[in-house]
Amino acid sequence: MTLDWIGVLAAAATFFGIWFGHVGVRKIEAASPTIWLPTVIALTLGLALEAAALLTQNLYVSGVLGIVGITMLWDALEFSRQHNRVRDGHAPANPHNPRHTRLLAKSKSATTVNWLDRDPLGHVVNLPPEVQSV
Amino acid sequence: MNFFGLGLGLATLLIIGLGFVWVIRGEYYLGYLWWPYVMGFGFLLIAISLFVPSVWGSALLGAVGASIVWGSTELKEQAVRAEIGWYPFNPNPKPQPPLVEQIRKWPAPHL
Repeated sequence: MTLDWIGVLAAAATFFGIWFGHVGVRKIEAASPTIWLPTVIALTLGLALEAAALLTQNLYVSGVLGIVGITMLWDALEFSRQHNRVRDGHAPANPHNPRHTRLLAKSKSATTVNWLDRDPLGHVVNLPPEVQSV
Repeated sequence: MNFFGLGLGLATLLIIGLGFVWVIRGEYYLGYLWWPYVMGFGFLLIAISLFVPSVWGSALLGAVGASIVWGSTELKEQAVRAEIGWYPFNPNPKPQPPLVEQIRKWPAPHL
């Protein structure tokens, strides 16, 4: 019986796409002074990968490029969503990033604390009301 | 033009979107301690994809498997989100997975 590796390749591309959409977007948004620049780069890369996926005749290459390209296009949106999470205190602000410094000054919810950085306790935990009300 | 990659990419986006739903529901009803079983199930699906003769079937099964493996690493953080009030917290006792005491000793993965 011949093994078909397309599933494993699709799995690797999907895992990489989700990983980058979480970890990569978080790190880039925290470091970038603007949102538009990483958004435009992700949009361009995503479109280029989809164009390449359409043009190649190799199913394996097309599949991987198609998955990574679409997740990259979604990441273009995620940069703005991550900015809003920082504004709302759902992600920690980077005090060395001027855009985040402005959020810290303007939004009551914005904080440098990562509320998610701990183990579950099995019961409700009360956060400051400005964070919980978001 | 080869539409396989674009179609697979769009299908994968849907699969990832569904991942958010089942992680929230799964943590609410079962709790995060089931993560090793969820992760194992994801890897099992990826392994099964090797033996699926259809290209679409194999690719989709692989994408679903990877999404489930990722979701297993999200369960712990989802439990924290529920505890701090960002998602509904289920106050009812949750079913304990087999070997729960062993699982408690392992650090739940989060990427």
